Amino acid sequence: MIHFDNVSKVYANQNRPALDHVSVDVDKGEFVFLVGPSGSGKSTFLRLVLKEERPNSGAIHVAGKDLAKLSNFKVPHLRRRIGCVFQDFRLLPKKNVYENVAFALEVIGKPRRFIRKVVPEVIELVGLEGKAHRMPEELSGGEQQRVAMARAFVNRPMILLADEPTGNIDPATSIGIMKVLDRINRTGTTVLMATHDAAIVDSMRKRVVELEDGKIVRDQSRGVYGQAY
Amino acid sequence: MRANFIFSEVWIGLRRNLTMTIAVVVTVAVGMGLLGIGLMINSQVSSLTNYWMDRVELSVFLCGKNDAFPACKNKGAITQDQKTNLKKAIEGLPDVQKVDYEDQNQAYQNFKENGGNNILLSVIKPEDLPESFRVKLKDPDKASAVEESLKGQVGVSNIVNQRQILDSVFGFMGKLRNMALAIAILMVLAATLLIGNTVRLSAYNRRRETGIMRLVGASNVYIQLPFVMEGVIAGLIGGVLAAVLLIVTKILIFDQIQMYMTAPLSWNTLAGVITLTMVVGVVICLLASFVTLRRYLKV
Ligand SMILES: Nc1ncnc2c1ncn2[C@@H]1O[C@H](COP(=O)(O)OP(=O)(O)OP(=O)(O)O)[C@@H](O)[C@H]1O
Ligand SMILES: [Mg+2]
Repeated sequence: MIHFDNVSKVYANQNRPALDHVSVDVDKGEFVFLVGPSGSGKSTFLRLVLKEERPNSGAIHVAGKDLAKLSNFKVPHLRRRIGCVFQDFRLLPKKNVYENVAFALEVIGKPRRFIRKVVPEVIELVGLEGKAHRMPEELSGGEQQRVAMARAFVNRPMILLADEPTGNIDPATSIGIMKVLDRINRTGTTVLMATHDAAIVDSMRKRVVELEDGKIVRDQSRGVYGQAY
Repeated sequence: MRANFIFSEVWIGLRRNLTMTIAVVVTVAVGMGLLGIGLMINSQVSSLTNYWMDRVELSVFLCGKNDAFPACKNKGAITQDQKTNLKKAIEGLPDVQKVDYEDQNQAYQNFKENGGNNILLSVIKPEDLPESFRVKLKDPDKASAVEESLKGQVGVSNIVNQRQILDSVFGFMGKLRNMALAIAILMVLAATLLIGNTVRLSAYNRRRETGIMRLVGASNVYIQLPFVMEGVIAGLIGGVLAAVLLIVTKILIFDQIQMYMTAPLSWNTLAGVITLTMVVGVVICLLASFVTLRRYLKV
């Protein structure tokens, strides 16, 4: 599903590579934690999957497509198959829960009838039933992140990328967020989550890929956060 | 493509930048209005030019009995012999096509027909008007040369070169037109910059939305169209104002001077001018928004 082959990324005006000869394979339906200290290249990895950034060397395949050969024109189609969740939720403050989720479908031109059918379903999936008409400011951080997850998942992507989704949320609420991610993963969606949260990684016992200074220092199935190798 | 989604975004964008929108609308309106006025003057000038250039004549006036022109002083009226010789001489010039003699009665008739005013008519008698040769030229551009060679011939009191009169009238109208077009170009430049600025502001205001749109895979058209439409709609409103301005100009100015014109400015011409200015206005807005977007809206 996601295939990195010797990928390096050096940002302009930086001498140290953000990713340094990284090779990783993530299969369909897997749940993978991307861990590592700040600046180790986790977000860079996720941006490369989205083709928001281009690698300086190496090949990236996502959903069977060679990103180097994917024309700019087709990048939106790639992104429709990938959902994204971030630490800062990125909701539209002037739209309510329903509208925020529906927005993702409206802007890719889905018919209204389809939107009316699937948006309530996904709002229920993330556990926000009854709150569809709340504005973002009337929701807790955890609830806002659920809205963001609903928006990321509403188009049934094959891959869900989560960049520190629990970074702004207290540990108790984080468990709820992880339950939703797990639920999404169980529908067959590949989930790739960058995190600093040791407790979560330890409790989920999923595959862990650890980066340090842009290099992979550990790739362990059913791993924990800080294990020595 | 969800049209109502685009339009609601456009509407929100236009309202959020209301002052900028108004500035764009006004500059586009003034710029396009002046462009239109320039085009209208141009169409009048060229129809007048075509009409008059075919009719350009030299009027060679002949000395009368007590003519005050220095060339005739103390020489008395031109004699029949002199007249015949002069006519032959004129006809002999290579650039002359035709020479017509106009006697005093004809001159009086023409004077009456060409709207000589009533007070003058009541005191002027045919005998007061000079005889003349009306000289038609093969090439209107040679008028001055012919005039030079006829000046000072015996019995010639004065030569009126219509070409000179026309040139000064057309010259004035041409200057007006050039001024209108020059200001129009400046206005178009200003409009381009303003639209660029509006779109940039709009892109900044909506960076959250566009960021999310990019992430969820909205196509570039979908992301950019609301911005481009903002520019285009502002341009269209400006264009409509310019059209109103042009219609008012036609009625208040061009229709008032119609009697001096050979072909009054028709509604058809005006419709053509309005269409052209609208198209120019909208295309400029389109290009300005598009170019700005390429710079400020990364895809
Ligand atoms: N847009 C950018 N331009 C230049 N350098 C960048 C850019 N984004 C990231 N970097 C650099 O690349 C390296 C990796 O950054 P990245 O954001 O991938 O780390 P991260 O693992 O996500 O860190 P964190 O845990 O703090 O989010 C860092 O050294 C960072 O300074
Ligand atoms: Mg990061």
